[in-house]
Amino acid sequence: MRGLVAGLLTFVAYLIVQAVMFHSLKVSRRALVLVGFWIAGLPLYEMIYHMLPDDKDIWPTLFVAPSDLLTYLNGGLFYFFLFTGYAPFFYTAESSVGVRTMIELASEPGRGLTLEELTRRYRYDRMLERRLRRLVHAGYLLEEDGWYRTTDRGRVTAAALSWFKRLLRLGPGG
Amino acid sequence: MLKGLVLAFGGFVLFLAFHVLLFRLRVPERRFRTMAHITFALGVVLIVLHRITPSDLGFLPPVYTTAGWAVDLLNGLVVYIFLFFCYCHFYFLVDRGFSGRIMIEIDNAYGRRLRAQDISICYPPEMALRRRLDEMLETNRIVEADGRYRNTTKGQRTAAVMGFVKRFLQLGEGG
Repeated sequence: MRGLVAGLLTFVAYLIVQAVMFHSLKVSRRALVLVGFWIAGLPLYEMIYHMLPDDKDIWPTLFVAPSDLLTYLNGGLFYFFLFTGYAPFFYTAESSVGVRTMIELASEPGRGLTLEELTRRYRYDRMLERRLRRLVHAGYLLEEDGWYRTTDRGRVTAAALSWFKRLLRLGPGG
Repeated sequence: MLKGLVLAFGGFVLFLAFHVLLFRLRVPERRFRTMAHITFALGVVLIVLHRITPSDLGFLPPVYTTAGWAVDLLNGLVVYIFLFFCYCHFYFLVDRGFSGRIMIEIDNAYGRRLRAQDISICYPPEMALRRRLDEMLETNRIVEADGRYRNTTKGQRTAAVMGFVKRFLQLGEGG
């Protein structure tokens, strides 16, 4: 349990620190902050793990695991998994089309919105623009005189995504 | 602790095999539900196997098999569930990723380049919106009547929570 508890406590600390950071500052490089803070949490995990007592001192026998390398690494893995659970939630809140749609619909709870009214508030061109800007910024695309082309990184990613789509027969999707 | 981890990773590999096989043979109508059902069924198998097999599974080093069975099982289940979550994140990225689709369209275009207006023709953004609306209708987050879309209570609650997160973390209107 020692590793799991240390992983959980480190993640709670991470969650608070990044929330305070995003709340008090306008962060432009969000992924960098999310990942950077997670990495910065690793020494904290080490510290918390060493501060916690051995399982045998506080937990019933069934929940006791020896304080060995496996328990230590397992706690680190748990901290990683909690982050991988939080990151999709963060990006869903940030850029999900569905969430944005529900937020727009929430402004007219009684009357609702037609597709036309919805797209007037939530414009297609801005949706696309935002994604193109982000892809250029992240090094997947290059922009030259209004033309977008894939970089090597973008090409590899596009090929991998296409392969998985074909493997699982998902259709063009998006 | 090692037994739970081995069973969790083994269970996840089995999940991947079933998932790929099933989707290759016949794409299910409700894809995510099918994936969740496979995960649940294998999770039950994992619990049963954990209880009926020896703590070293017959081949694990004894030094890493001394943990109590409850913590071992709990840890194994946590790892198994998180592996599924991580995979779901990847799966949705492949299936629904808007940015991924844009990159594919550009990469498949002649000269591997497109302008924003060309992308809108290859992949009309209203298609992305319609697909989301259909999914939200299916999951009872919205309803449609006389051409007007409205949030259900579930949709309204999601909008309130996500709206709060957006405001609190200063994420902008996004979408």
